[in-house]
Amino acid sequence: MDSLFLQQVLNGLITGSVYSLIAIGLTMIFGVMKISNFAQGDYSMVGAYTAVFVMAWVGGWLGWIGSVVAAAAVVGLLGVVTERLVFRPLMTRWTDIDMIMVSIGLFILLDNLAQLFFGATPRMIGDPFGGTTVDLGVASTSLLRLFCFFFAGITIFCLELFLNRSRMGVAIRATSQNRFAAQLMGIDINQVYRITFGVGALLAGVGGVLYGTLFAIYPTMGALPTLKAFAVTILGGMGNIRGAIWGGLILGVAEALGGNYIAMEYKQAIGFFIIILVLLVKPSGLFGRKEGA
Amino acid sequence: MSARLRNILLWVVALAALILLPQVVEDRYFMHIAVMAGIFTILTLSWNLLAGYTGQLNLGHAAFYGIGAYTSAILAMQTGLSPWLGLFAGGLVAALFGLMLGFPALRLSGPYLAITTIGFAEILRLVAMNWVDLTRGSLGLSGVPLLTPIQIGDFRMQFYFERDYYYVVLAAVLFTLFCIRRLIGSEFGVTLQAMRDDEAGAQSIGINPSSYKLAVFTISAFFAGFAGGLFAHFARLVSPELLALHNTFDVLTMAMIGGLGTIAGPILGAVSLTILSEALRSMEEVLKIDIRLIVYGLLLILTILFMREGLVGVIKNVWARVKGDS
Repeated sequence: MDSLFLQQVLNGLITGSVYSLIAIGLTMIFGVMKISNFAQGDYSMVGAYTAVFVMAWVGGWLGWIGSVVAAAAVVGLLGVVTERLVFRPLMTRWTDIDMIMVSIGLFILLDNLAQLFFGATPRMIGDPFGGTTVDLGVASTSLLRLFCFFFAGITIFCLELFLNRSRMGVAIRATSQNRFAAQLMGIDINQVYRITFGVGALLAGVGGVLYGTLFAIYPTMGALPTLKAFAVTILGGMGNIRGAIWGGLILGVAEALGGNYIAMEYKQAIGFFIIILVLLVKPSGLFGRKEGA
Repeated sequence: MSARLRNILLWVVALAALILLPQVVEDRYFMHIAVMAGIFTILTLSWNLLAGYTGQLNLGHAAFYGIGAYTSAILAMQTGLSPWLGLFAGGLVAALFGLMLGFPALRLSGPYLAITTIGFAEILRLVAMNWVDLTRGSLGLSGVPLLTPIQIGDFRMQFYFERDYYYVVLAAVLFTLFCIRRLIGSEFGVTLQAMRDDEAGAQSIGINPSSYKLAVFTISAFFAGFAGGLFAHFARLVSPELLALHNTFDVLTMAMIGGLGTIAGPILGAVSLTILSEALRSMEEVLKIDIRLIVYGLLLILTILFMREGLVGVIKNVWARVKGDS
């Protein structure tokens, strides 16, 4: 194995960890509420812009951490608000088409509001490490990118803790397994929806800060994370969090390798080839259909 | 007056008004908008055929539009095929792709189908961007030939101005409308609606949903490709942008606002949104911002939340109330 290969795998894993994070939010919302939220990537966009403003205001280390906290708060709140205003009214009479289309409406709206408020000029989140690189022997990367990878991991770990240890987490998992049984056990279903959607959006927001650290930030950037998150979610099985973690890493590595060894021009299409392949061969996703969340 | 007679009269009056319109309004810009409204009407009608009557959400409709446009343009520019035949060739090639996509899509529904069809369109958009020899990449094909003149005896019609294209597109819309109305009114159409409302029930009486869905997928793609060909010879520029997701979103918004699963809805939606978007564009000079798509997104959300039947439903309700009062 040459070092270029390993280098690409490392790059892929780093990008993939961010995909995982955004996709987990999507898959959680789907698992619990059966909503396919096409606006998920726009939550990432809002998170990224939050970071841009916090970084411009504070800067450095403190700014980066502050960005993540601010993005989580802003986007989590945005998630709760959109759930209440846009999705909740449809929960009682939804069809697949209505839910998808209302989220597409939200996507169009947020995309263009961002264009209005933030302008079309691409932005960047600065590097609090000042561009330090790390040599891992077989491959090297910037300290910032490595940090993103670990930060994504920590966030996912915290989510697992929340879902497995907290009362609300257990309620969320119960609802995703059987909504009616959960209601019979006295779980406040609307509260579960609110928190699930908030947390799902929050993950996309934090993922957006990391995404914006790795890539450029512009108002219509949300489409890509949305599509990637769907690719990951289908790869891992919709509603399956563990599946989304692995799916994200697989997509990241596949893109890095495919972009390098097959065709750079079609790098963004690799996710779609994977989706079509998965849906033809094993529609429940690579990791089967375990009970959700 | 019988209802049938009144219907026919209504049609005749509407048609006469549409035919006379260019004689009254001479503004070329207005005619340009009217042509685009017509092209979008065909797109929306064809998208609605699949989404509204079979409940399948195709988010890759723009791909068929683009395929039709590229096919017709490339045939006319490289083989010298008459653009008139090119329009149908574009439709046929799009239909072929529709059939191709239809096979895997049959097994999918909801979000799975939505994301697969987006993937299909995005892959083709990247092909159009990167197959530079054929498509000239992101520059697009410019200088697509105009529709060739028609000569019948002494009568010669040239296709040069927006007004000329207006008549072509009007005829194309009527052709599409005729075909789709016939289709929906036939046993085929009734079967589709039965399948949409209760697939298992339809299967239990011996209907094979797969072949029906596949047929609709193909027909829907044909008309999108046909609309693409019209656009190519009208705008004379074909670029990968035609296959972009936002075109599908425009179509979907129009169908939804007009009224999903009806015939009048897509027409109403396409025409009213095209006019609205031009009105908003002219406001841009005052406001200094482009609020067109913000309004689209908002309207789409509000329509789904508060008037699920679309404009058609609103009109029906108002009509019923007026009738009830008098």
